Amino acid sequence: MDRESGSYSWHEARKIVPLLLSIAIVSVSHADEVAGAKHTVVIENMQFQPKVLQVKVGDLIVWKNRDVVPHTVTASSGDTFNSGKIEPDGSWSYRVRKKGTIPYVCTYHPTMAAQIVAK
Amino acid sequence: MNRMIRLLAAALFVLIAPVAFAQSETLNDTQIAAIVVAANSVDIDAGKLAEKKSTNKDVQAFARQMVTDHTAVNKQATDLVKKLNVTPQENATSKSLKEGGETNLAKLRKLQGKDFDKAYIDNEVTYHQTVLDAVDKTLIPNAKNAELKNTLVKVRPIFVDHLEHAKQIQASHK
Repeated sequence: MDRESGSYSWHEARKIVPLLLSIAIVSVSHADEVAGAKHTVVIENMQFQPKVLQVKVGDLIVWKNRDVVPHTVTASSGDTFNSGKIEPDGSWSYRVRKKGTIPYVCTYHPTMAAQIVAK
Repeated sequence: MNRMIRLLAAALFVLIAPVAFAQSETLNDTQIAAIVVAANSVDIDAGKLAEKKSTNKDVQAFARQMVTDHTAVNKQATDLVKKLNVTPQENATSKSLKEGGETNLAKLRKLQGKDFDKAYIDNEVTYHQTVLDAVDKTLIPNAKNAELKNTLVKVRPIFVDHLEHAKQIQASHK
């Protein structure tokens, strides 16, 4: 670096740019790994457990179907999502995008209802 | 007056006898397996008919769900029967369920439109309540094999959900 002008020479820049790029790439991949916590909702005995799940925006929620019949995870209002059919022993995941309370149901079994509270 | 009392007593016996029978009947595991398969098959057949005949989307969706869920429950039962290497043994209850199912189908085939929907859903409410009572009072208490008992406990909430679902449709179509 030219100490008087405070600017980098072309030769120095060639050394620094790859270094900065590698730092940026590492930061991005690291940010992806720690984007949010992971939560699991178990679907069993025709219920979502837990019935109310507290999460933060960016968290990942995984629903695991331990019943012998298929289910869905379908938002009733607010942030919209719909898993489609989740077969027995199957799972489906969703990353929370917005703050708020999201009630959801299984469209096959209307008595099954639960909610996500995203802060 | 005496004749009236005798008629009332006879009517009460007809109403109470099947319940008493269900509560006191002692069943072995192969008989229980036959009852589970019969109970599911009866509802699958009624569901298939309703999928074809009903024009109401709620009733059609419910019927489709009955076919899917009871087929899944039957698969659990038949897989377990194969695993345990036993043959389901027909008995008075499994035969009665099948006969009741046939009678219901014959009745439903003669009905159309809203009359069909009402008869189908009314029967689904009664049927699921009856099966649930049998599961609680007869099948689970009598099951000896732990896996069979666990399967019955595991599928019980499905019958509870179906009963509530049928009641919801029944109430919304009144």
